[in-house]
Amino acid sequence: MNTVTRKLIAKELYVNRLFIVCASIAGIVSVLLCTTSKVGFNVGALIWISTIVAVGVMLALYGIMNERKENSLLFVMSLPLSIPDYVRAKQLGLAACFAVPWLISSAAALIFVLAHPGAPDGLLPYLVLLCVFLFSNYSLVLCGALHARSEAVTSAVVIVTNMAVTLFMFLLGGLDEINKYMWGPTPVWNHTFWAVLAAELATLALAFALPWFFAARRRDFI
Amino acid sequence: MSDKHISMQSVRKTYRFFTLDDLTLELEPGQIIGFVGPNGAGKSTTIRLALGLIAPDAGEIRVLGHEIPRDQALAKREIGFVSDTMRLLPQATLGWHMKFVASIYPGWDDAYAASLVKCFNLRTEQNVRSLSSGEHVKATLLLALARRPKLLILDEPTSGLDPVARHEIISEFMDVLRDDSRSILFSSHNTVDVERISDRITFIDRGRLVESDDKERFLDRWRRIRLQLPPGTDEPRLPHVVGRSVDGQFVTLTIDGYSDELLAPFGAHVREVQRMNLEEIFVATVMHHREVRGQ
Repeated sequence: MNTVTRKLIAKELYVNRLFIVCASIAGIVSVLLCTTSKVGFNVGALIWISTIVAVGVMLALYGIMNERKENSLLFVMSLPLSIPDYVRAKQLGLAACFAVPWLISSAAALIFVLAHPGAPDGLLPYLVLLCVFLFSNYSLVLCGALHARSEAVTSAVVIVTNMAVTLFMFLLGGLDEINKYMWGPTPVWNHTFWAVLAAELATLALAFALPWFFAARRRDFI
Repeated sequence: MSDKHISMQSVRKTYRFFTLDDLTLELEPGQIIGFVGPNGAGKSTTIRLALGLIAPDAGEIRVLGHEIPRDQALAKREIGFVSDTMRLLPQATLGWHMKFVASIYPGWDDAYAASLVKCFNLRTEQNVRSLSSGEHVKATLLLALARRPKLLILDEPTSGLDPVARHEIISEFMDVLRDDSRSILFSSHNTVDVERISDRITFIDRGRLVESDDKERFLDRWRRIRLQLPPGTDEPRLPHVVGRSVDGQFVTLTIDGYSDELLAPFGAHVREVQRMNLEEIFVATVMHHREVRGQ
């Protein structure tokens, strides 16, 4: 990784610092809310998921689409970097920006399940799969925004990936091998868990690899 | 390795409704080319090709000896680029941008940057979002100049600025021009600015380069001659006439390739010989070329 790429990754962390801090705080607060009551749990869980999804959307829209729309991309591309350098820096930079609140929120949720007497440890596999799904879902949003040239296409990607979160939770909860152990006292890491996790990681890898093969090889970037 | 700062040979770039065709452009070290064309002529496309932001469909581009777009990262280490459409990062201050650019370019000159901040009346703690368009151009110019680039590429930098801001920016260019090794490609449709700073002029229209020459030679070549021809007098045919208008007995000829000898056949009929400014030459050249090409 060259110096300019490193500087651009640091730039992403700097310009998105408000999103990172606010989302991290919201992630922790939402988990604390879960500890209060059953209603608190429902509201907290909703805020927790919304926060992670929203920060991903905001990062993609502001970090990629707005940079293009407001012509800041021209400033960035005037720096000594190639198109593949830009794609790599943008992808890693925005992934780092998302990773901070995602890690904090995920860790807070895992601690809640492990430490709170009202939350059964059997929820752990479901939670782990949900957390990894949210990251791979974000990587799809990022991938779409890096390839899309229009706001309409990016918006379509955002809408589809947003809908995918609810659908994923519904489908995952409907899997017998996940569902029947969810409310048990101990986590069960069975084949279904590993299969879903493998599919999520494969999606993540694909979404990260695609821009290197397509967006980074564009002949006309601006 | 080419010693030219920009060398574009037979470059073609085709879009659905526009083609930049057979463009050959060379910029020598220390030279300042005024790249003039109407809106949509292909100036920005040419500049984006030179920076490697878009790739040509045909032809060869080398900038500071580097093949473009392949080695654009190496070339851009020594290029300062300013465009009227370029925007800095709205979430950061000018001071942050200065530190950011300084950390990337080893040649960044802190003292010069500080003097430009003062000269342009900018505030480093000011958020970029709150800069006026004039201040924004000055800020991008500061960031480009303080890195002490070998090559400055300016894409309509003074477009949309008030006369005072334009004067400040052009004056700063005049200072920059004292460095003989630095070359500048200055694109604009404002011929007054171009005439003031350039030593070579290139005209582009509808995707084709129509004329390129040294500024002084350009200005020497062109004249507008006003003749008074009594009724029944035949107008002598001249080889270099590119425009002609008649008003009663008066005939006005626009001539590209003027010399004193050209006036000999007209004798006492010559009423006035006018030098033309760059804007008049630009308009006459473009209209003549469109006529020749049947556009």
